[in-house]
Amino acid sequence: MVNDPLDQVRTPDRSARPHRRRRALAALCTAALGLGGLAACSPDDGDTVTLNFFQFKPEAVAQFDEIIAGFEAENPDIEVVQNHVPNADTALRTLLVKDKVPDVMTLNANGTFGELSRAGVFEDMSDVPAMDTVADAPIEIVTDLGQFEDEVSGVPFALAASSIIYNKTIFAEHGIEVPTTWDELIAAVEALEAAGVQPFYGTIKDQWTVLPAFNNLGAALQPEGFYDDLRAEGDDVGPDSAVSFTQDYREAAEKLKTLFSSMQPDFASRDYNAGNAAFADGASAMYLQGTYAIAPILANNPDLDLGTFPYPSSEDAEENLLVTGVDVVLAIGKGTPHQAEAEKFVEYMMRPENIAAYGEAQSTFSPLKDAEPSTNPYLAGLNDFVAEGRITGYIDHQIPPAIPLQPLLQQFIIDGDTDRFLTGLDSEWRKVASRSSQR
Amino acid sequence: MTSPTATLAQEPAAPRPATPPQKRKRSGIGRVSPTFYWMVLPAVILFFVLHTVPVLNGIFFSLTNYAGYGEWDFTGLQNYVNLFKDDQVLNAYLFTFGFAIVATVAVNVISLAIALGLNAKIKFRTGLRGIFFIPNILSILVIGYVFNYLFSNSLPAIAKNLGITALSTSILADPDLAWVGIVILAVWQAAAFNIIIYLAGLQTIPGELYEAASLDGARRWRKFSSITFPLIGAFFTINMVLSLKNFLQVFDHIIALTNGGPGTSTQSVSLLIYRGGFQGGEYAYQTANAVIFLIVIVLISVIQLRVLQRREATF
Repeated sequence: MVNDPLDQVRTPDRSARPHRRRRALAALCTAALGLGGLAACSPDDGDTVTLNFFQFKPEAVAQFDEIIAGFEAENPDIEVVQNHVPNADTALRTLLVKDKVPDVMTLNANGTFGELSRAGVFEDMSDVPAMDTVADAPIEIVTDLGQFEDEVSGVPFALAASSIIYNKTIFAEHGIEVPTTWDELIAAVEALEAAGVQPFYGTIKDQWTVLPAFNNLGAALQPEGFYDDLRAEGDDVGPDSAVSFTQDYREAAEKLKTLFSSMQPDFASRDYNAGNAAFADGASAMYLQGTYAIAPILANNPDLDLGTFPYPSSEDAEENLLVTGVDVVLAIGKGTPHQAEAEKFVEYMMRPENIAAYGEAQSTFSPLKDAEPSTNPYLAGLNDFVAEGRITGYIDHQIPPAIPLQPLLQQFIIDGDTDRFLTGLDSEWRKVASRSSQR
Repeated sequence: MTSPTATLAQEPAAPRPATPPQKRKRSGIGRVSPTFYWMVLPAVILFFVLHTVPVLNGIFFSLTNYAGYGEWDFTGLQNYVNLFKDDQVLNAYLFTFGFAIVATVAVNVISLAIALGLNAKIKFRTGLRGIFFIPNILSILVIGYVFNYLFSNSLPAIAKNLGITALSTSILADPDLAWVGIVILAVWQAAAFNIIIYLAGLQTIPGELYEAASLDGARRWRKFSSITFPLIGAFFTINMVLSLKNFLQVFDHIIALTNGGPGTSTQSVSLLIYRGGFQGGEYAYQTANAVIFLIVIVLISVIQLRVLQRREATF
């Protein structure tokens, strides 16, 4: 560049040109990282640092682009390249196998995240200043998933809740109140069916779409400390052990079956996207999906008057819980050469205005201590539960990913064989426990 | 795999030319020019680095409890012992073999029939040959999603209008029928390549044989069973071996159509390895599964070659 004769002639352009070059270089770097071709790839001039930002949510790319633009404007010497892939958990695992941990990541705080945290692939975030602004409950959800020593592997960024989404217009038309107990829910389903309205829209072609209902029913109806006891049983889990799915999950499984028996006839061949579109068109009165589905539903029909309510899993309205999870957690890869810049970026993302803007766009709750109650009208039915702290985590995060939970659930919904489903879960738990105890 | 490795072993043994006169002497008749070794060498190195090394690496990790990252220890043959206790693995093998056998038979029968037709003196022969080859150049994933749409939406809609209740829901959503959808896609896609091989085989048969047979009063079926089929034996063998091997490794078709579902009813061995290893975090355990699967496929291919080659006719 020094030898470039144009530099001496056209000095006014100098400020713009290197930047464009860096951008091209950054794009090259990303391509190289994606191919796994180059080991070290950082700009050589030293005045610009490129952060490789692994972003798991394809529907939130625009929000993060905005955040990145704001951050880059404040920090002209740092460039953030957002990479988003379908099937982020698998992609991240393959990056890890190749020893290429991204600098900054957004991830879903799920079982995989816990497993990776235990393996120590993330930087400790407990000393990051933004951590002090986050409420205790979300941090606990993250650390409960798995910890490396006593480190905190990620900063909670957004909370999602799992609820029943309902069409307010249809409910009002048929004079149906929001149910607060299991009996009321069944009565509502029967009233809708009698009126010729489809109660639920099922999309189990995508295996995971059974999970939200399972998570809610299981969390509310299982005995206290079920998964701790189950882990203690290890490879003894079975019909004769102190706790097992066969004994303790029967009610949840039966209720799950009941809900899915009120789906439209072709529920087995519809997928999540089709379900969002159908519900947006008023094909059913209720939809068994988490709050993350609100944004895609509204994208299909912005005028839809929808609301949410927590699962009335129990006969006693007081016993119902709202299942919430940390939908987005921010993590930094251990051993990144750009530790300081990565922390700066995390700090920036955690600013209240950024979290609020993201929550508005994606219908999520804020994890911050002094957060205002959500003003999002679609989440109004859930605010009380969040404020009263009647929340619990996703139970599928407690189940090791090696257990084929989603296929088992899909199978169960299709054949309705409760015994086969529960003994299947027990047997898979036993096998995985025996394999991992040999570690 | 053996021949390139063998040439690699021989290569250093060949004495190097020290002086020009010697070189002239050695390049006489009966000597293999070193040029041939140089032509083979790059491929051998590439094959070794990109294929053999990863295989050895995988076999090594199948003896550990490696999760794909982090720390690991040796566990000996424990992964292999556990494999034989896992009913999920057994079910995957049963599905894979059932699927592979049905698909291999179907694809060979269909493509041989089409190849016979395309080899006859029909109209638009060249154009039809081109059209029948198109499925082979399309990506399985892409046409997989097209078939997925057809099975999930178009077929039920047609069946509903015709009043066929059995087909009015997607066959992919039925645990007992989903495999049929995968076979249809697999056969549709794989037939193209097999047709080309059979066509090549049919063109090696001299026309005089048929003329002679006609003079002897042979009918069509007799001509096929006594002349055509025996004489394309080598092509039949290669098609059978390649299709069975490819169908045993079925993966893309399933990802595009059912993702292993409903339940685990269409979970093939490759899909199980991918899921358990990369999504389930049991990298070493599923690598052991992959090693066993490799051995199984090699054994079956060798047996198949032996049996089928013995039946080939030569002329």
